Amino acid sequence: MSKSISLRGQMAAMSAPSVIFTVGMIAFPFFYTIWLSFQTMSATGTIRYTGAANYVRMVSDDQFWNGLTITAALYFLSLVMQLICGTALALLLFRAKKLPGIVRSLFISPFMMPPVVAGMMWLVILDPSLGAANYILTSFGLPPSEWLASPGFVVPTLALIDTWQWTPYVALIVLGGLQSLPPSVYEAAEIDGASKFKTLYRITLPLLLPTLVTAAVLRSVDLLRFFDLIYITTQGGPANASSTLNIYGFRTGFEFFQLGYASALMVTLSVIVFGAVLVLNRLRTAVAW
Amino acid sequence: MPKSLQVSRTLAAALLLSTTLTAAAIAQDFNWKAHEGQTVTFLANNNPWATKVLEHKAEFEELTGITLKVDSYQEQQMRQRMMTVMNARSDEFDVFMTLPSREGAQFAAAGWYEDLKPHAEKDASPDYDYAGLSPALLEAATFDGELTGMPLNIEGPLLYYRTDLFEKCGIDAPAKLEDLTAISAKLKDCAPDVTPFATRGLKPALPYTFSAFLHNMGGSYMKDGKSNLCSAESKAAIGLYASLLKDFGPPGAVNYSFYQLTSLYREGKSAMSFQSSNEFSSIMEGDARLNDTAIVPLPEGAGGSHPTAIGWALAVSKFSSNPDAAWYFVQWASGPDMQAKLALEGIAPPRNSVAGDPAYQAWLAEKPVRQAWQKALGHLADAGTSEVGYPIIQNPESREYIGQAVNAVLLGTSTVDEACAAADEQLNTLIERE
Repeated sequence: MSKSISLRGQMAAMSAPSVIFTVGMIAFPFFYTIWLSFQTMSATGTIRYTGAANYVRMVSDDQFWNGLTITAALYFLSLVMQLICGTALALLLFRAKKLPGIVRSLFISPFMMPPVVAGMMWLVILDPSLGAANYILTSFGLPPSEWLASPGFVVPTLALIDTWQWTPYVALIVLGGLQSLPPSVYEAAEIDGASKFKTLYRITLPLLLPTLVTAAVLRSVDLLRFFDLIYITTQGGPANASSTLNIYGFRTGFEFFQLGYASALMVTLSVIVFGAVLVLNRLRTAVAW
Repeated sequence: MPKSLQVSRTLAAALLLSTTLTAAAIAQDFNWKAHEGQTVTFLANNNPWATKVLEHKAEFEELTGITLKVDSYQEQQMRQRMMTVMNARSDEFDVFMTLPSREGAQFAAAGWYEDLKPHAEKDASPDYDYAGLSPALLEAATFDGELTGMPLNIEGPLLYYRTDLFEKCGIDAPAKLEDLTAISAKLKDCAPDVTPFATRGLKPALPYTFSAFLHNMGGSYMKDGKSNLCSAESKAAIGLYASLLKDFGPPGAVNYSFYQLTSLYREGKSAMSFQSSNEFSSIMEGDARLNDTAIVPLPEGAGGSHPTAIGWALAVSKFSSNPDAAWYFVQWASGPDMQAKLALEGIAPPRNSVAGDPAYQAWLAEKPVRQAWQKALGHLADAGTSEVGYPIIQNPESREYIGQAVNAVLLGTSTVDEACAAADEQLNTLIERE
């Protein structure tokens, strides 16, 4: 017994520095941001405690509500598209077992691309004057679009780009789920004469629900913090039509030097992310089989 | 001219005089190896100036014996890192690049700049030609009598236009700012495949180009301590700028910054492009525009000609643990020898002496468009103003509201009156907060 305690103690002592370091690296910035959100930092760098003033300001700040609305719109639009397209791609990859490796690699390659590179690439493609997208549209006699420069179309366009990039990631998760489904259920369905359509809707998709929710949790964290792609392509524009909460917080902090208010915005965003993850985790438990 | 600018101009002139006089006295004592064995860390903005200078890094290390560590980022990421380090009062870097017209007042008020005046007076190389530096740029980098950075280049928006299209359409070179509308209309009819006029529409980027419209039309950002965007002149400037882009600009102009402008003009898809002098070498890449382009400052308006002229500067951090060695890097990188080398790479020198250098003159003489570019830059140096956005500490945030006002008119979501009123309200709040 004493030997095992001693061994356990030694293991704890050896791993303690890395555990303390890791916890510190996560906890310190988070608590520092919370502390900063109760301060007001002037443009010249002086800090003073102002209680909940930053949170009060947020309630009456139109840009905050605009940011929240855009964050929500981008989140739901992207998530729905990525789950649908990701599931479809996973089913295709699952069934097409003889698909050459190179084709499989091509399918999943977009999410391996850094978002900054993807942003630059799509910026060029979607340029209303010089880009390939409008060239293709007009070649088919269709009217050109302003894409990222249109206040009404910028959010769907960003959602489309993000879907192009992250659908393969969702597909890989779903593919893992598909491969773990029990074959006996399918054998029973086949014996009962179920059609392929019914098998998909009555068996595959219900059994895949826990996997889909897992994918939704993983994508939710990224989608609610949507930043790099927007920063590269529109910087929150045109006007404020793509200014998500994260973009607004970044610009407030690092361009306008209001670190206190920016921290309050980021704490609020963190609460939203935690809330979304909690809700989705409960959903995952509810649909587990 | 605002009183503060007059005072700082006088101080800049005094600084020039004093440093010139003391330069001769210290010439004999100067030793490039005075800080041999020490290390200087440089926080760089990954722009053409830094890229070209750092190609000569080994020469600096050989000349001084100082080890130069470079921390290089894109512009906004550089500011982000700078803010983090400065707020922590850390000595992580000694030298950094700064844009005085944007953040100068703010960083100076925060006490982040080392005053370079004592260094310049006591420890400058005998070849460091202070008298040749642009007084306007020195003035722009002087806050409360402290010299916060040494000018590295001069830049500002210039009007690039296609001489072949102007000739084909029977249009004379633009003489007045107000002519741009009529010229654009003629171009639209005569050359329908080409965008008549292009300039910045991206909200945070457009104050750089819009400021020249505002000043040339007699407008101003502030009057009697209040925002002045709703004055008749300022409203006319907003109206003209937005209507030129809306009626004659490229589709999606609201997202246009330097990158799109350069591509569009270089590809021959725009007839006039009002954009940065810094883009000259990018525009001329591939030589497609070398023989059909003329370059002039923005034509004068009702208020005269007040082009925007700004420049990057090299500053020493107030928290540097080694400001003397850092100053050696600053004076090497901003000295006339280096600027003569950079001028041949298309980086406009902030010194008249360098602009008159025979090698540079020979480079200019090779192509008329280069001479036109240099002539336009000369006008910027002589008559330019560095006021881009509001002359307040919160200048970066003021640019946001200017951009919003122009964007609202451009997108048709507000009239000029509504847009300027909304901007004035936000800007007055910002001014009061200061």
